[in-house]
Amino acid sequence: MNLSLMSLEISVVALGLVVLLADLWLPAERRRALGYVAAAALGLLLLQNLSGCCSCCVAGGDGTAFGGMFVQDGLSVFFKRFFLLAGALVLVLAVEFSDRIATGVSEYYSLIIFALAGMLFAASANDFAMLFVSIELITITFYILTSFTRGKVAALEAGVKYLILGALSSAFMVYGIALVWGTTGKFNFNELAQVAGNFTDNKVFLFGVVFILAGLGFKIAAFPFQMWTPDVYQGAPTPTTAFLAVGSKAAGFVLLLRFLFTAIPSVTAHWDKLLIIISGITILYGNLCAIPQRNLKRLLGYSSIAHAGYLLLGVAAMTSAGQSAVLYYLSGYLFTTLAAFTVIALVMRHLDSEDIAGLAGLNQRSPLLAATLTLAMVSLAGIPPLAGFFGKFLLLKAVIEQGAVNHGYYCLAFTALVGVVISLYYYFGVIRAIYWSKDAASREPILISTPMRVAIVGCIAGIFWLGVAPGAVLRLAESAVNALHCPGLALN
Amino acid sequence: MADGRWGCALGAFPHLPFPISYLLYKKMNVGLEHYLVVSALLFALGLLGVITRRNLLVMYMSLELMLNSANLALVSFSRFNDNLNGQVMVFFIITVAAAEVAVGLALIVALYRKRQSAHVEDLTSMKL
Repeated sequence: MNLSLMSLEISVVALGLVVLLADLWLPAERRRALGYVAAAALGLLLLQNLSGCCSCCVAGGDGTAFGGMFVQDGLSVFFKRFFLLAGALVLVLAVEFSDRIATGVSEYYSLIIFALAGMLFAASANDFAMLFVSIELITITFYILTSFTRGKVAALEAGVKYLILGALSSAFMVYGIALVWGTTGKFNFNELAQVAGNFTDNKVFLFGVVFILAGLGFKIAAFPFQMWTPDVYQGAPTPTTAFLAVGSKAAGFVLLLRFLFTAIPSVTAHWDKLLIIISGITILYGNLCAIPQRNLKRLLGYSSIAHAGYLLLGVAAMTSAGQSAVLYYLSGYLFTTLAAFTVIALVMRHLDSEDIAGLAGLNQRSPLLAATLTLAMVSLAGIPPLAGFFGKFLLLKAVIEQGAVNHGYYCLAFTALVGVVISLYYYFGVIRAIYWSKDAASREPILISTPMRVAIVGCIAGIFWLGVAPGAVLRLAESAVNALHCPGLALN
Repeated sequence: MADGRWGCALGAFPHLPFPISYLLYKKMNVGLEHYLVVSALLFALGLLGVITRRNLLVMYMSLELMLNSANLALVSFSRFNDNLNGQVMVFFIITVAAAEVAVGLALIVALYRKRQSAHVEDLTSMKL
């Protein structure tokens, strides 16, 4: 067993406990700033991870721990950096939001950190037990985070809906794991990959795989399992929604990639049609349902379903180009979505609901926030030269390259383009509300604290950086997905 | 013919309840398939409960039934395949389910205090 591989996870869990305990000794008025401390600590861990160039541990680089359950390779390192960055930005946002949390601000911070720890474990999961426990660590923490403002009925309702549907999906996943393990006798993904080819005709095994996919589909909000998304996005506190949109979805995708391409590649190879159909319907469903929405967070919930569909394009392509495009798109999605939710949290702080009309006059109240939200919407819509455009370009390219194999891929690419065109309508509805609304409810300028300003400028820089100079991240993503295909020789 | 068979099953072991007496009469060995069928039935019953019941607590109970059906499947696979890993997994599932229940019941109680109701029809504050 190699504990040093897990030093990052151990530090994050320890940080969560320290934040929880610090609450006992800190006077009430200084607890709020604890979030900045935690965000700074996560930033330090991220820097240490980056500077250690490809190894966050002394042992140096790749390896497995707990008998192959926990794997440290290019893919997990990529996603761990992703989650740390997301966690730090969400904590800054949570500090900004903390005046709306009646009691237990430090608990809110520490729960975010524990969810982050679950995501870090998910990035390294190479075994069904690890997959299940890490996904539940994320989900159960999110039940609490979703209804943390328990004075609001909407938050409680969102929490209960998430709870019932989340528990349902985890029941499906557990049953699927039982069936897959019962037929093959393997929990470990690498061992399963060696025998999965013998079971491609076994109905019980295939049922198990479908059930596991149902559980993962719930996490990423793919088509038949997307019902919870709009309600939970709308009702949850804004930092939770942001973390749900970025962290939870990315954790679902890293597990999906590992499950489909490391554990059962021989089964996945036959399922291109299923993935194409799910991806296409998810794109259309998300985009069409987003059109009539008036609540900004609900609109972003539907848009997040649509983006799950775009990300599934890269999974459906079943090439390493598609998988690296997924990673790249997620990186762009991180900056874009966090920027959007940050603006929502700042602008809507005195309003009961996050109605789009509340954005009226934002251009006069705070040009920076108006520009940020505009950039975020434009990037989500996929207009060059921003991050969203290049990500979509890579995903579509990966799908069209596969078109020669199966003509369904051309239909899928066409569906995705239709989805992008539909999405322009509602994204530009938001931009219109920012700049061309007549009746602004309030005209007072919005104050932005310095850490918040840094986070916003960082997000904007990220959106431009990924759109204009994609080389560095793309190379990282490409080397990361190599780990999926040759688990023995994971590159870094 | 069929009558005779059922009748014999009842007559041969009059002191035992019918399904068991039938199994004994048929000299059936209870094998992996039987456990799996029971576990699939439990799973289906749980799913049916979640879909048809409208009370949050009953729905939540049905969800626990679904989780336990998976446990039964894991344990029986483990027993019949002589592989203890499945039973280890069951411990993980039980632990996680306990955590989930703790959080879930707290949420349902909090909602009940706010709305004086635990019915899903009342969860309608968020709509288009």
